Amino acid sequence: MIRLGLLIFTALTLFGCASAPKTNLYDDIGGKQTLHKVYGLAINRIYNDPVLGPHFEGVPKRHLRTELTNQTCELIGGPCEYEGKSMHEAHADRNVTDAEFFRLVEHVQQAMRLIGLTYEQENRILAALAPLKEQIVYQAD
Amino acid sequence: MRHSLSLLLVGLLGSASSIADTGSQLLATGGITGVDGSAGGGITPWAVMAGYASQEEIQGAASLQHISAGDYQINTLGAAVTFYDRVELSLQRQSLEIGSGVVGNTFSALTSGAIQTAPGTDIEQDIVGLKVKLFGDAVFSPSPWLPQVAAGLQYRKNHDFDQSLAISDGSVPLPNTGVPMLLGATEDSGTDLYLSATKLWLGGAWGNNLLANVTARMTKANTLGLLGFESATEDSYQLQWEGSLAVLPSPNTAIGFEWRTQPDNLTGLGEADTIKDIFVAYFPDKHWSLTAAYTDLGKLPFDDDPTGFYLSLTVNL
Repeated sequence: MIRLGLLIFTALTLFGCASAPKTNLYDDIGGKQTLHKVYGLAINRIYNDPVLGPHFEGVPKRHLRTELTNQTCELIGGPCEYEGKSMHEAHADRNVTDAEFFRLVEHVQQAMRLIGLTYEQENRILAALAPLKEQIVYQAD
Repeated sequence: MRHSLSLLLVGLLGSASSIADTGSQLLATGGITGVDGSAGGGITPWAVMAGYASQEEIQGAASLQHISAGDYQINTLGAAVTFYDRVELSLQRQSLEIGSGVVGNTFSALTSGAIQTAPGTDIEQDIVGLKVKLFGDAVFSPSPWLPQVAAGLQYRKNHDFDQSLAISDGSVPLPNTGVPMLLGATEDSGTDLYLSATKLWLGGAWGNNLLANVTARMTKANTLGLLGFESATEDSYQLQWEGSLAVLPSPNTAIGFEWRTQPDNLTGLGEADTIKDIFVAYFPDKHWSLTAAYTDLGKLPFDDDPTGFYLSLTVNL
């Protein structure tokens, strides 16, 4: 039992060290240009989605694309500054459901794959975005 | 009982399949259905709920498992329903098939060699599980150190506790005494209580997703309850530890290992040991998953090291 505990501890430590990216994720994926492409594709899919589309009525695609690109760029260590609303503020009058959140994530995942990001890069970007969920879902007062 | 279980299963599956798709959560995040019917790994529950239900959805999962380890085989059939990513209700039928060699050896040991041969037998039990998510989000957590935590219970009822074994000529030398009783178990049912903490680190293993789970279980069961519960000398709850560690090297594959410690209520033939496995799970889409594992069932009568293959099919409804 103790040996097994040690093994897990060692494994976790190894994974922990390995997970600290040796190169900057931002440079690794090809910078802001790549994110801009990803969100261009993702936003098209999101606006055409019968469930998600209605949430974005009246939001110009170009505006959303710039905001998401800057925000993700900043979160993954790029030289950008997100100057938009806080996630809570941006979703306060939408009351986004849990199911809608997952649906949106899947569109972004698909876009990353279609643009050619690796599975590893995709996971690391999602890891940077994941903590935002609690400020996105069910934010209406 | 057998009949009412099937009816319940059909009812559960029917109500789950009336919902069109398989739920909204991301692929593989519901784990598989384990040997006890609760969602998680193959031999230990996780804090995640069966299927892919979001907070607005009710989804179900059905599963079949087969473990083959020498003279022993375990087959399971079960179903689970998740309500709003909060509550999981599960029903599982487990069947342990015991080869004729083991039964013959058991009689031989009990009768000092007077009876040497006997046909094989099986031991069946049902498990009703309830799991409630307490807090946290295993995947989309605000902190990398905050796991998803769930509490659960598993009520186990062994149907062959006092079902007598026949020998080859059809006679019953020990009436009203089943295998669990022969081995020293004193109860035919028991309720396990457990607490599970599960965390998935996105990109946590060289960019691959990494999952860890720890489960603490209070139990009186002898080898999952298949060998009954408690004994003349040990009738209290004992704390046992279970764990899983898995890497997801692609969006639809998980590779990992698990372990599950067991109490040692029975001495002699009924002694138990830690169950372990190494598994590969494949999630082609949200509708189903297939898991293959190499498992070590710890210890079983006349087999100090029962190891073999484990196949598990989970269908999400």
